[in-house]
Amino acid sequence: MIKRSEMAGHRRMPDWVVTGCSVALLIVAWVVATEGGFVDDLFMPSPSSLWAGFTDLVEDGYKSRTIWEHAGLSLERVLAGFVTGAVAGTVVGLAMGYNRVIEACLAPFVEFLRPLPQLAYLVLLIVWFGIGETAQIVLLFLTAFPVSAIAAMDGVKSVSRQRMQVARSLGASNWQIFRFVVFPSALPEIFTGARLAIGVVYATLIAAEIIAGSTGLGWVILDAGRFLRSDYVFVGILAIGLMGLVLDYMLVAIEHRIVHWAGKY
Amino acid sequence: MIDQIAGGMSRRMFVKTVAISGAALTAGLPTRALLAAGKAPDTIRVSYFLETKPTMIAKGEGWFDKLSGGKCAWTEAGSGAEINAAFAGKSVDIGLAIGSSPTASGISQRLPYELVGMVDNIGPAEEMVVRKAANIKSVNDFKGKKVATPFGSTSHFRLLGFLKVNNLTQKDVTVLDMKPDAQVAAWTRGDIDAAYVWSPAKSKMLDSGGELFTTNKDLDAKGYVIADLIVAGTEFSKTYPDALTGFLVAYRNALKMWQTKPDEAASIVAKQAGVSAEVAKRDMEEYDFVTFEKQLTAEWLGPPGKAGKFAEVLKRTADFLVEQKSIKSAPDLAAFQNGINTTFLAQAVKAAG
Repeated sequence: MIKRSEMAGHRRMPDWVVTGCSVALLIVAWVVATEGGFVDDLFMPSPSSLWAGFTDLVEDGYKSRTIWEHAGLSLERVLAGFVTGAVAGTVVGLAMGYNRVIEACLAPFVEFLRPLPQLAYLVLLIVWFGIGETAQIVLLFLTAFPVSAIAAMDGVKSVSRQRMQVARSLGASNWQIFRFVVFPSALPEIFTGARLAIGVVYATLIAAEIIAGSTGLGWVILDAGRFLRSDYVFVGILAIGLMGLVLDYMLVAIEHRIVHWAGKY
Repeated sequence: MIDQIAGGMSRRMFVKTVAISGAALTAGLPTRALLAAGKAPDTIRVSYFLETKPTMIAKGEGWFDKLSGGKCAWTEAGSGAEINAAFAGKSVDIGLAIGSSPTASGISQRLPYELVGMVDNIGPAEEMVVRKAANIKSVNDFKGKKVATPFGSTSHFRLLGFLKVNNLTQKDVTVLDMKPDAQVAAWTRGDIDAAYVWSPAKSKMLDSGGELFTTNKDLDAKGYVIADLIVAGTEFSKTYPDALTGFLVAYRNALKMWQTKPDEAASIVAKQAGVSAEVAKRDMEEYDFVTFEKQLTAEWLGPPGKAGKFAEVLKRTADFLVEQKSIKSAPDLAAFQNGINTTFLAQAVKAAG
């Protein structure tokens, strides 16, 4: 007890201060290393050349499109692939978790698809779906789908048997048990799955935009990288990273609203 | 030995030390003195393309190892951009048959390498293939069509040159960034109307409903020359000039074999590239493998110390890449002239007699 009161004397730093310090430290190191001439621009662009690259991209765009068009197209693809993949994956995952026969039927495909590297079947997707948006969205769909499916399945499986038995003894039908017991209990895991899914969809964006590029942030990064334009590459990475953060925060906000009770009992 | 030194110092310092001692040695002593020290590299890190060219004879028969006096460590590159990135990361000594447009961008970005020789003048080997069904007969027929090419390649450079020369923009023609295998896949579905690319993708498309739309003569005349080159790291060429000369002699012998015994040469190349001997021969016949003697004239690289016309080609290529916003800026002609070093090429001719 005495020790505790002593410790209260040094007030603990709030988390956001620590985060702020670590980011600030990194930025200072970056400024010193690049502006001080310790690192070649090719390896790591300086803040000023990054800013120049950014204003350049905003004013003139990149290869016949504005940077907003590129970002917008990427966002469209990510959302289309994520929403379709997460919804379909969740539905299939719930069914697999709830019904052993369905699980036995589908598990091998979901498990096979999940670790498959997308670049492996890129050419096949072109042959099947052509070089338009479809092939790219299908690729992102295939990335999000197994992640969401497995999360939803695990969510269902972790629902305690007792709760289902109580509901049944109170006269609930199968559908009612699913609707009022299983589904809400699985929701926190479904949301966690969705956050993971949007992460992998984002990571796959570059692979998708390789298909027949010339549009999208992923392609901009890839193309700029070919000419070692590290300023554009960094601007692209920052843009993609920030967009990903915003999407993730939005998911977390929705999660807090819908499953505000998660982890509380 | 080198590893030990590198272990004791930071990489940066080590590199600096080598550069300084290299500079001091070459400034103070004739190059021969260095050789008298019996310096031969343990390994030569070569980044190369798996392709149907005489270079593959020298690789397959082990001539590169034998004549350079070092063991070659081969890494296959997917594009010239990869070779450039490897040079930026100082993890390669020789880039074999890198295209002229990545080389121009590399010299503009002051990558630590110099152009020491040429493999071929690409000429008609990279060309526009159009789908017969797309009914493209004249330049204006390209409007509203989809043309695919691997971005950053020599083919891409030529295609953009083609658009510019004919007053077409990328609003008139949809230019798609696709790797050769993806192009063939899209071609079989009918998703693209034309492609600017090399073989085997080119010949596959020609075999399945394609025809040539010849652009190379016109574009060559207008300065859009494309070529495949040999670049060597400046540290490497300073430290191991004899090894580099030997490397070039090996390629020269391979080239001679292709010129004198084409069938035998084609069968060796075919084995390396994994195609039939007929295909290898047909592919190689499209390239103009410029002889070393010709490379040393003002028409191409020029004699040692007096860079030839090819420096202008590189300069024009770099200017064009700036216009395309691919690279930030291009240095003046002198930088490209200095980027060409034909000392080793001349030595190789002398050595082979």
